[in-house]
Amino acid sequence: MSLQGLISGSECAVPFNPLSQVLKHTEGDRSLQQDRVAGPSSSRLQHLPSTASAPGAERDLALARQFFDGNAPQAGASAFALATQLPHAARPMDVAMRSGPDLGKAWSDIQGRPGLQSQTPRSQAGPQMSSHWATEFSSNSAMSLHGPAQSGSVQHSEYNQSSYMQSSMYRPMTGSGYMYGSSFSSVGTPLQMSDKGKGKEIDFEAAFAEATASFSSQADSGRIVEVEDDVGDLADTLQDTNLAEQDGAQSEAEQYATDFQHMWDQLQNSEVPPPQEDMTKWEAQFNQLMNSQRDNEENFSEYGDFARQVWNEDQSNYDFTTSESRVEFTNEGLPILGPYTFEKDNRHLDPSTSGRSHLQAAKDLLEQNGSLSEVSLLLEAAIQKGELGEGGYESWIMLGEVKSMDEHEDAAMRALTEGTRRAEEAGAAGQGMLSLAISYTNESFERASHTMLLQWLKARFPDYHISEEAWKSLSGAGWHSHERVTEAFLGLARVQYSGGEMDPDVQIALGVLFYASSDFDRAKDCFEAALAVRPKDYLLWNRLGSSLSNGSKPEEALGAYREALQLRPTYTRAIYNVGVACLNIGAHKEAAEHMLGALAMQEVSGGAKSDQLWYTLRRVFQSMGRQDLADMAKATTDVEAFRREGFDF
Amino acid sequence: MSDIKEPGFKSSETLAALAAVFAGYNDEEKKAQIKKTNGIFELRVKNAEGKEGVWTIDLKSTGSVYKGAAKSKPNVTLIMSDETFQQLAEGKLDGQKAFMTGKLKTKGNMMFATKLDGVLKAAKTKAKL
Repeated sequence: MSLQGLISGSECAVPFNPLSQVLKHTEGDRSLQQDRVAGPSSSRLQHLPSTASAPGAERDLALARQFFDGNAPQAGASAFALATQLPHAARPMDVAMRSGPDLGKAWSDIQGRPGLQSQTPRSQAGPQMSSHWATEFSSNSAMSLHGPAQSGSVQHSEYNQSSYMQSSMYRPMTGSGYMYGSSFSSVGTPLQMSDKGKGKEIDFEAAFAEATASFSSQADSGRIVEVEDDVGDLADTLQDTNLAEQDGAQSEAEQYATDFQHMWDQLQNSEVPPPQEDMTKWEAQFNQLMNSQRDNEENFSEYGDFARQVWNEDQSNYDFTTSESRVEFTNEGLPILGPYTFEKDNRHLDPSTSGRSHLQAAKDLLEQNGSLSEVSLLLEAAIQKGELGEGGYESWIMLGEVKSMDEHEDAAMRALTEGTRRAEEAGAAGQGMLSLAISYTNESFERASHTMLLQWLKARFPDYHISEEAWKSLSGAGWHSHERVTEAFLGLARVQYSGGEMDPDVQIALGVLFYASSDFDRAKDCFEAALAVRPKDYLLWNRLGSSLSNGSKPEEALGAYREALQLRPTYTRAIYNVGVACLNIGAHKEAAEHMLGALAMQEVSGGAKSDQLWYTLRRVFQSMGRQDLADMAKATTDVEAFRREGFDF
Repeated sequence: MSDIKEPGFKSSETLAALAAVFAGYNDEEKKAQIKKTNGIFELRVKNAEGKEGVWTIDLKSTGSVYKGAAKSKPNVTLIMSDETFQQLAEGKLDGQKAFMTGKLKTKGNMMFATKLDGVLKAAKTKAKL
């Protein structure tokens, strides 16, 4: 009858829940491996409920629960789940069962019928087992106090190995489950005849407690000699019980299912910390897996490099480009820009004003929220007169930063390139690099930005180890260097975080990196973190706004820009960004007015007007469908002309 | 410009926006853009329904976007899904990465395709850091 069930049994649970399969598998592996590795006697105790430490890992329970829930509707699934779960908690019992010779036979029986295992009528098997255990237990504990556990360890690990090698997905885990089933089904094991009679329910509980008690009292010393005997004994007992029982099992099954449910609940409710060993091993394995994946990625980038190489060769003998003005790049992706071009007719170069330090004047003006164009003219004059400030780089870097704020990115990059070079020569490497990296990001020179950020990181935190791979990645594909550089910065940020500090500059750099990969939410978080330390930094407010704006939240961005402009009303870039946000919202007229306002401000101070502003203004007019205005919007036009068109700025 | 749009293709809207941008360039900017890129992209985009749309971005002679196959030999033909194109345009997907993962296929000068990123970025006015 049971064989019948084995063949045509209901298709319960396991094979139809592939996900739980996988989980089970992983979980099963762990515990099995641990048994093998940690040796029989010491780790064994962990799994027993009565020993204080750790009976049944919490994770085991969670996984089992998942499995359990998933299959709840199916009849008998619960019993089965318990059958698989119990071994952890009550190993002595399952051990006893396994040691029987008929088990081996049953196992090979099962093996001979692929696919059948999963269909073992578990609803019967599980409960049956319980009764098995009950009897087994009473006799076992009577026979020898220590025996079962030891034989269990030995047998168990052997068994593990064999089932492991089968490498079938669910076998390691469900193994114990259907083993019961098989031993039962091949011999037939109704329990009624056993000495315990009808009170199985109580017996089981009692036996269980008894067994666990006997275990807790066990010492660690090995008892290998005894084991042999035990196995024999157990085998005999098994045989006896098996022979004694024949029918009626089926009907009993239903009844026991509820008992198991009960037991199961108890198990589930016990608060048990997961064994530390399991966790660390799991983590190690996980890391290993991740690393192997990473290696694959490296190969990818190598391929990228190869493609690049091929391309470079290709390029030399296939001249598809005729332009001389094409931007050249260094191996690290840094654009090779020409030298900085100074403004002609700089009135500050007039000898009559030379009495005062231009650099100081520029600093003062910047302090007083003066016009940025004016500041940059002062700085240019200072540089042209050889007044380079601290270390011979201060004026250059300041000029670059002011130019960037004033929406002249190209000039900013040139000045900053010069400034960082001088700073490096003066032994103050790192100065201005962050600003330069940001300028590169704005101009979509991604790899240049990565290179600059990594160089800054090295200069700023000489003690922080930057992996060789990160440096190498700089000459590879942009997305690859992005990953590597971000990794390096995150590593540092974590070290700092664990040390209880938070460096706003590191956060800014991370923000720029996330911004460059269009990860605007994380960029926003980084800039906000930096702002928490420097709430008065208008540059940061603008960067926050820009992350929000490009992250499709132009409305929220306006709030951040407002903060920036309150701190610095002449901040051209923030005004420009407000215009862009308005354009993206669809408020074209306002967008145009902001652009015009910024242009007017630059005009007043007599500096160069930003091409970027004009260009964006033209786009605004086009979006409005005013081609006539778009045609007007060019550098030679007086900004005031637009007032007549009804723009108020 | 409106004839660039094609129902069922999200990318056609991006391309229409790009066409508007190109039309907005004055001569000088157009020249600069052409110099910077100097080539012709032919885009073959497959949408979810399996239909294929073909557009061309000419940044070699005219500096324009139009529907249909390239009128003169393209430097590169890019074959991808509508979704991939959208991600490229939004900067969420890197062109090289897309190529490596097989989302983007090319005919012709493969490395020239990497310039598409920069071209597409011009389609949207972005705030600056």
